[in-house]
Amino acid sequence: MLPTLRGRIETRLFLILFVGLPVTFLYALAVGGLPLDTRLLLVLLGVLLALFIVGVILDPVYILIQKLRWDRDWPFAYQFFFSIIEFVIVLALASLGWIPWLDAFLFQQGEVIRIAIFHFAWVFLIGFLLLLGPLAVLFVRWRYKGGRFGRL
Amino acid sequence: MIRVTIEGRNSVSGETLAETRHLSPGESVVFGREPGSGGVTILGNGVSRRHFELSTDAQGVMIADLGSTNGTELGGMPLGSARIESGTSVTASDWTITLFYEEVDESTVAAGGPQSRYITPSASEGGGLAPDIPARGTIDVSEVHSGGRHVSEIAYCAIGAGIGSFVWIDHLRCYGVHEDDILTIGPEEIPYATYARYCANSQIPDHERLRSNSASTPDNIWGFPGYALRESLTTGNPRYAFQVFGEPTLAESYTPRAGRVFRSFDREMKRINWPRMFRKGLVQALRKTSDGRYAIYWRAPRDAAPEDQRNQVTLARIVHVSTGYPATRFVDDFQDFLGRHPEKRPLVANAYEPHEHIYQQIEATGQPVNIMVRGRGIVASRILQRLSEARARNPNIVILHSIRSPIRAQQGAKFGWARRPVRGHVELQPFNWPKASWGGDIRVRYERADAQERGRMLSQLGGTTTAERSDWIAIAERGGEEGWYRPIFGSVKLISVKGEKLGIDIRTPDGFDQSFEADYLIDCTGLVADLSRSLFLADLLNTYELPQNHAWRERDGTWQAGPRTGLQVSNAFEIEALRNGSGRVYAAGQVTAGGPYLAVDSFLGLQYAALRAVDDIADRRLTRMRPIGPFRSAVQWLRWCAGATP
Repeated sequence: MLPTLRGRIETRLFLILFVGLPVTFLYALAVGGLPLDTRLLLVLLGVLLALFIVGVILDPVYILIQKLRWDRDWPFAYQFFFSIIEFVIVLALASLGWIPWLDAFLFQQGEVIRIAIFHFAWVFLIGFLLLLGPLAVLFVRWRYKGGRFGRL
Repeated sequence: MIRVTIEGRNSVSGETLAETRHLSPGESVVFGREPGSGGVTILGNGVSRRHFELSTDAQGVMIADLGSTNGTELGGMPLGSARIESGTSVTASDWTITLFYEEVDESTVAAGGPQSRYITPSASEGGGLAPDIPARGTIDVSEVHSGGRHVSEIAYCAIGAGIGSFVWIDHLRCYGVHEDDILTIGPEEIPYATYARYCANSQIPDHERLRSNSASTPDNIWGFPGYALRESLTTGNPRYAFQVFGEPTLAESYTPRAGRVFRSFDREMKRINWPRMFRKGLVQALRKTSDGRYAIYWRAPRDAAPEDQRNQVTLARIVHVSTGYPATRFVDDFQDFLGRHPEKRPLVANAYEPHEHIYQQIEATGQPVNIMVRGRGIVASRILQRLSEARARNPNIVILHSIRSPIRAQQGAKFGWARRPVRGHVELQPFNWPKASWGGDIRVRYERADAQERGRMLSQLGGTTTAERSDWIAIAERGGEEGWYRPIFGSVKLISVKGEKLGIDIRTPDGFDQSFEADYLIDCTGLVADLSRSLFLADLLNTYELPQNHAWRERDGTWQAGPRTGLQVSNAFEIEALRNGSGRVYAAGQVTAGGPYLAVDSFLGLQYAALRAVDDIADRRLTRMRPIGPFRSAVQWLRWCAGATP
């Protein structure tokens, strides 16, 4: 991948909105069954929001790393690795109670952490697979725009 | 300083002439039977002792007849004196002499840098513009119809019919343009024919890998599925897909096999019905017409049309120019050697010309063979690989690798905080530009920059590189240890004949002269991008005084414009100087070098240029074609997957 800072943020936002949200609803339904467990849904949406914020804060650091690379690229392996790191950071912050909208007590329970990990795995894997190429099928200019959407 | 390249041919004796001179403004060269010191000798009936003179000033080059008995002709008219464009031909008795010139940097001349000569013929069949093509810039449509040529009319016409044309037409088709609205004119039926020939000559057979990435897919506008995924799916081996996951840091960059790329072209050619849009012929000229279109004058080959219908003209509203590299290059010392020893021609070769005989001979002899390889780019790497394969049949082959100067680990090119890695005195880069040139921050920065900043970035990010391939590194390291590979640093001063062998004199970077003997010499220094080498482009440049880009060089701390490179195009790859009402001319590939995009000369670069041009046509509503959004894009992609016509 060859992302620019704005491209990173736009792609991140796109994936949260069009992959993260639907997957979270479906996951909450699958885990909590009907009627929709709104408490579970809100916790998972809270995680999603935290993931987005942590990601946006880290994006300039990634850009810095890219600038040290001659090709100024971002290998898929890095994307994979750092996405998991972002989630680990969110989990750690949540259990420390540093994320105001997430209850620290919940994130000290093994069961909640297990649910959050599976939720993240779905959101992350689908988003990552889209980045590997299918996103370009919908947005033919995206790969030339450093991850931004719209016209060239 | 002006570099003048002189190429001549005597139509009676068949004798040829090829020389290069470096002239400061005010200097001149006399042509004739006895031109005196520094002159160019041309022999034959009717040539005067001092026949004509070429002189230079700050504005360029002039020629003047020196009162010769039989006169000198320029464009069929007797010449007194005239200022000439590069690529002009003059006639003196039986000689036709073509003069090319360009401004060059004095320091590179003094440093003995490689200077170009060309092996590709410069003139077409007739040697000049067909007489029925008007010299004016704009012509009346009625004139086109009454000109005696067969006339065809079309909405979109792509000149070149190579990979650049193919990719542009592929985009048009995916955007919904019907095949009956598109024509493409070029010398070869298969769009990748020239490319495949260069690959074969430079020792990349179908099973070898190109220097191109997985998602650079000229047969698929989306880059998905890439060649890696396709190779994994068809071979059942997941390693190629994983290579893309890890490249370039955890795995070597994936590159597709040449044969697989060519087969993918075949499939897409069939899908978009390329044969129906293709016309075989050589494009001679393009003229604006009074009704906001373009008249494209072209000539069909003998096998494609009856003799009286070979001259044709096509009227089109949207034109695309992608004619590729105009010539192959021979460095000066090489050309001089060939002039002195034409009988030794089989011993020397440019890597892009056929030279299979060399491998056959060195494999067959079993005797000790010294072979010199010149250059350190990707082609040199591939030639070295081929030679190391030849060593399996003849272990007595010794490779002398001529490299201009050593490069230490910390001497690679620098851009921002990053430095290009170096190994074995060669700079390493997976592809011919840093990856972000195709779609990352470098693309954005470069596009936004002004001409000077573009020139500066181009010279910082360009340069000769090769890919980091473990087998290539192993050749140099193992060959060095075992004594059959030897790098030689310095610039070649002279190639001569020593008994049965070639004698090669080299001046080392610290100023010593060394002599080497070799049985063969393979030059891997590249292709030439001088637009005036193409008759069609030269006429286009002259007729419309098209602005060109320049190479930029740092001199005394400031960046200055150097020799001319590609055609100036907008960020959407339009040649704006050719705009004609709602008519537009776009370009792609090497003819746009130095323009709004660095990697023009690559599969993905051609895809980028095509996308920009097609989007521009759609955005400006020049035709009925509309831009492609997510839904139509996805539908077209599904059609591609199914192999259905767009």
